[in-house]
Amino acid sequence: MLDIQTSVSYYKPWTLFWLSVLFAHVYLDVILYKRFKYWFSGMRLKSFNKDKIGLIVRIWLQEVFFQRHLLGFSKLRWIVHLLIFWGFIALAFLSISTFLVWAAGLLNIDGGRSKDILYGSGYRVIKIWGNAFGLALLFGLIIACYRRFIVKPPQQSQEQMDIVLLLFLLWLTVSGFAIEVLRISLINPAIAKYSFVSYIFAPMGRYTFEQLSPVLTALWILHSFSGVLLLVYVPHSKLMHSIVAPLVIAVNAVEDHDRRDIYWPEARRYRGKG
Amino acid sequence: MARGQKIQGKRVAKKLTWRQLLELDGCARCGECMVWCPVYEQDKRECITARGKLRSLRNIIRDSIGQQEREEFLESLYECSACGQCHVVCPIRIDTPELWEQAREALVSSGIPQPDGQVKQLQTIKAFDNSFSKPKSERGLWSERAYQKGLLLKPLTLWTERITPVLYFAGCTASFDEQMQSVAVQSARLLQEAGVDFFILGNDEPCCASKLRRMGDPSFQEEALKRIELIAGLKVETVVVSCAGCYKGLYADYRSLWPKAQKVLHLTQFLDRLLTEKRLPFKYDVNKSVTYHDPCHLGRHNNVYDEPRRVLQSVPGIEFIEMPRHRAFSYCCGMGGGLKVANPEIQHKMAATRIREAESVGVDAIVTPCQTCVLGLQYGVKEISSKIEVYHLNEIMVRSICPDVCHNNIMQAFGYVNKEAL
Repeated sequence: MLDIQTSVSYYKPWTLFWLSVLFAHVYLDVILYKRFKYWFSGMRLKSFNKDKIGLIVRIWLQEVFFQRHLLGFSKLRWIVHLLIFWGFIALAFLSISTFLVWAAGLLNIDGGRSKDILYGSGYRVIKIWGNAFGLALLFGLIIACYRRFIVKPPQQSQEQMDIVLLLFLLWLTVSGFAIEVLRISLINPAIAKYSFVSYIFAPMGRYTFEQLSPVLTALWILHSFSGVLLLVYVPHSKLMHSIVAPLVIAVNAVEDHDRRDIYWPEARRYRGKG
Repeated sequence: MARGQKIQGKRVAKKLTWRQLLELDGCARCGECMVWCPVYEQDKRECITARGKLRSLRNIIRDSIGQQEREEFLESLYECSACGQCHVVCPIRIDTPELWEQAREALVSSGIPQPDGQVKQLQTIKAFDNSFSKPKSERGLWSERAYQKGLLLKPLTLWTERITPVLYFAGCTASFDEQMQSVAVQSARLLQEAGVDFFILGNDEPCCASKLRRMGDPSFQEEALKRIELIAGLKVETVVVSCAGCYKGLYADYRSLWPKAQKVLHLTQFLDRLLTEKRLPFKYDVNKSVTYHDPCHLGRHNNVYDEPRRVLQSVPGIEFIEMPRHRAFSYCCGMGGGLKVANPEIQHKMAATRIREAESVGVDAIVTPCQTCVLGLQYGVKEISSKIEVYHLNEIMVRSICPDVCHNNIMQAFGYVNKEAL
């Protein structure tokens, strides 16, 4: 266990936060339930060939986890999408797993290891993981903004809400880093270094806890409740594709398993129009 | 039925499969479909793209579509050659041609008919069992006349005389269209030259009804089942189809209704088998540099890319050059999906683009195994006054194997005016 203080106890309105998370979750679940009910109200599918299960799983993994099709079109788009996708997945995994460890500690079913994982020996892993994937997400979003606002490819969707969503995700990521930057400026630099991205910008020892505490609370409220808002907004936004697209890819892999030609890895070379 | 009446979203949704309902919500609006759409290239409106159509269809189902968007959608749903390019390039592979056809059917079932031109064509198909308004008694005339004029080695066997393992299904265009009867004659002659024991249905051959499916006619399933019953009752080993549209109908559309539909082969697939068995007696060199145009119904829709290429490249003297856009990325000539009926001008421009692409690789001719594509590409040749020749694959084959049945000879023998050289 690390013998140095790793947490900074500034005020966070936990009760309100968890109530709003609960509300957002219920809302999201109800909407998703309704969507699933609606999707499966459609007519039946073609037959499913069990013999092709290996091929189907391979197609799904290549298309969802590796996003091979995008690589075929544009390396830049592939990198952007992969950074955002894996950044998002890894940070969500980190949040969920740390919450579960914290909850286990609260319920005394952690065998006394919860604190060590969150604030002791597990701290450096959590911070390196969070910073690495936070950076990936940030890079992905910055390149996406560059592509949308500077490159402006003609096929770019002109829907205002897509722009709002992109900026909103950027805000969430930047505000997350801002909290970390200010928080680690209050702890021992030897420990703060594990937050290797935030540490670069951290004003180490320049401000006191009393000075930063209200700022941290304000930023935490804005960041956390923005996250809750995002949860509510998911089913009404472009982000819905992050739930539906893997399902569609799975269904299409089942139905089109004999159509290897539509899983085309070299699309880019055909892009030059005739 | 009137195109202005209210569309009930729930009724439309009920006619779609759950895969299609899922796909409607899966679109991430990336716009890859827009980059590749050959129709959008000619008519740059968002509603033309798959992304635009998906959005509007979603709004229809949610009963939240505005008047202008609805009008644009009803126009663009039919201003589409259903070439399937958007299916291939979509990162999540939304099966767009299938979805558009199903959406057309769902709308018709909800009281919103197809555009007038397509309604007329559907009425003709139902009344005459072909889209040429010709009586059934004329369907098998091509075979009788071909034998009388010495274009066939022996008279063709009719199903009423003897059932053999192979049925040759000529299709409406090759049976009735004067400019395209050569395709039926040449197909039959090539099979004879290879010693294939086959028969035809003659006047009893039905229209494959696939155009009903393409245009979303709800009676397609019922009509298809009648044809399935007829063909399945013959207990043949293989049905050979020379028309790419009929192939899509008999092979792909019927498959869900008729598990034995896998017995259906396109002529080029069958010729490829004969080639492997060394049964195609090539005699003369055909000294031409050619490129190959993939018909959407064969390539993107049914994964038939290699067999026609192998057959074409096996002809002595042929120099084969691929166009930049080929196989799954072949540029559509615009003849499919009812686009030609809905908006001929766009079809002409699409075909012209394809012809320019063929010109860019410096070939003498563009070859395709689809008679509809041949007609479509010829519009493109006219549009830009190109010197490039357009051939049906059969024409190249017969010039090496049995040149007496080249297109011009058949036209002359039948007393038709040759509008276009094939």
